[in-house]
Amino acid sequence: MRRLGLLLTATLALVLALPAVALAQEEMSPAEIGATMDTMWVMVAFVLVLFMQAGFAMLEVGFSRMKNVGNVVAKILANMAVGALVFWAIGFGIAFGAGTPFFGLEGWFLSGNIDAGTIPLSMLFIFQMAFALVALAILWGTMLERTKFSVYLIFAVIFVGIIYPMGAHWIWADDGWLAALGKQDFAGSTVVHLSAAMAALAGTIIVGPRLGRFDDNGRPQLIPGHNMPLAVLGVLILWLGWQGFNPGSTLAATTEIADIALTTNLAAAAGVLGAIIVCYLYRGHIDVGMAGNGAIAGLVAITATCAFVAPWASVVIGFIAGGVMYGTAVLMERMGIDDPVGAIAAHGMGGVWGTLSAGLFTTPELAEANGGLPGLFYGGGLTQLGVQAISMFSVAGFTFFASLAVFAVLKATIGIRVKPDQELNGLDISDHGSYGMSEGLVATDNYPGNGNGQYTEAPVKTPEGRS
Amino acid sequence: MESLIVQASGSGNNIIDVYPDRVELRSGWQSQNREAIDHRDISSVEVKGLVNCVLTLETNKGRLVRLENLALGEARKIKTSIELQKSRAAQQS
Repeated sequence: MRRLGLLLTATLALVLALPAVALAQEEMSPAEIGATMDTMWVMVAFVLVLFMQAGFAMLEVGFSRMKNVGNVVAKILANMAVGALVFWAIGFGIAFGAGTPFFGLEGWFLSGNIDAGTIPLSMLFIFQMAFALVALAILWGTMLERTKFSVYLIFAVIFVGIIYPMGAHWIWADDGWLAALGKQDFAGSTVVHLSAAMAALAGTIIVGPRLGRFDDNGRPQLIPGHNMPLAVLGVLILWLGWQGFNPGSTLAATTEIADIALTTNLAAAAGVLGAIIVCYLYRGHIDVGMAGNGAIAGLVAITATCAFVAPWASVVIGFIAGGVMYGTAVLMERMGIDDPVGAIAAHGMGGVWGTLSAGLFTTPELAEANGGLPGLFYGGGLTQLGVQAISMFSVAGFTFFASLAVFAVLKATIGIRVKPDQELNGLDISDHGSYGMSEGLVATDNYPGNGNGQYTEAPVKTPEGRS
Repeated sequence: MESLIVQASGSGNNIIDVYPDRVELRSGWQSQNREAIDHRDISSVEVKGLVNCVLTLETNKGRLVRLENLALGEARKIKTSIELQKSRAAQQS
């Protein structure tokens, strides 16, 4: 018994003493501790941003019809795989490698000497990779339920490999031409959200609306999503993920992340209210999906300015973003553009307004700390607003026309739309061989013609007089 | 179940299906309009455009049926299938 006690005591002493011995042997300098803390913080932020993929999946599943949900989640998985590998191979180098003011010429497969600050290059890469994957997820939300799976994969290679990284290089690389002008885009309103929305707009124009989305006179007809709780869960996951998206963009564990988190969340809350109020004034009821998109629009808008504006300004930015988002969604419908999840309105107009709002609301103290000039409302004049406008038009224009060209080539060669019967019967069976949800959960609703439920054929007329 | 040779959708909820003996056109918000045209009643098929193609069918009675915003590959397949079916029917008769 006494021997056992001695053994236990000795073991306990060893266990307690070992970490101290290890620390004594490898004493870390304050700089090393700081770098470790920075890396840990960015790692946490990366996990949150990567988790946004689950948010996009739930959002898109909720807004889709039940017959397409397997296709939606398969597309998210496949795009994450393609996007991660392509961004590692060439995208990261074009975005952050040194080279020209328009694109980087080093850093292929993470080679070269890209400056990652206090964190390891691999940490910077996976954090930025998560951003690229977010852009890709935004883009495909608009083309749901009628796009060929192969188009998702091919365009993902071009978008994550070339189009997205070029916009990122212009704004975020040390030698980028918009960075040289003093462009303010802290976490990517322009780089991630606006560029993704512009690519999405190009794709949506080329692919055309879903069958049944507009009636015989061209008036929009609602194709309701099959599960609003899932859609709202998606929005909540995205809201959670944004705690890594914006505060994580400090790329360092500083006390500044608290202020950034504050502006981020205030803008999201105001975005929900902005969308709800405008929706109620316009339609007389509160659309759940639009309320969710209001949160996203507010978050997108504050993404550029989260480190530059005071809390009161973030509320104004978020509120206006929510309202503008709703107006844009209505306008898109009237123009005959079918965006099932409202991503063009939420991410596109959120990105436009967020980019411009930096030129209006940036405070002198935060501009001095984070770069650029104060905004118009703080006596900074029109200079910063002009830089923001130039960056907005150049990134949006480049992304839109480059994407339009790629989608046009794809349409003229392999085609980008599934066959009508595949679209009407759902992509789960035709593309993936099984239902995304249980076969017992058959949608029972009043939308048979546009494929929501069992498609029944109309009788055939023979106008030429034969039967 | 008849074998569908090729099908495509154009703008405005218009769908075209090509069968061995006829072309079927579906239109309307809920695909409520459906009509069939025998291959022998089609006098010509034309494809115009490169990205957003226009497929025009002309019947023997001079009626023109236009489908817009088709992909080039689909439009060409429809034209080829109709012409092939017509030539096969001609050889058989």
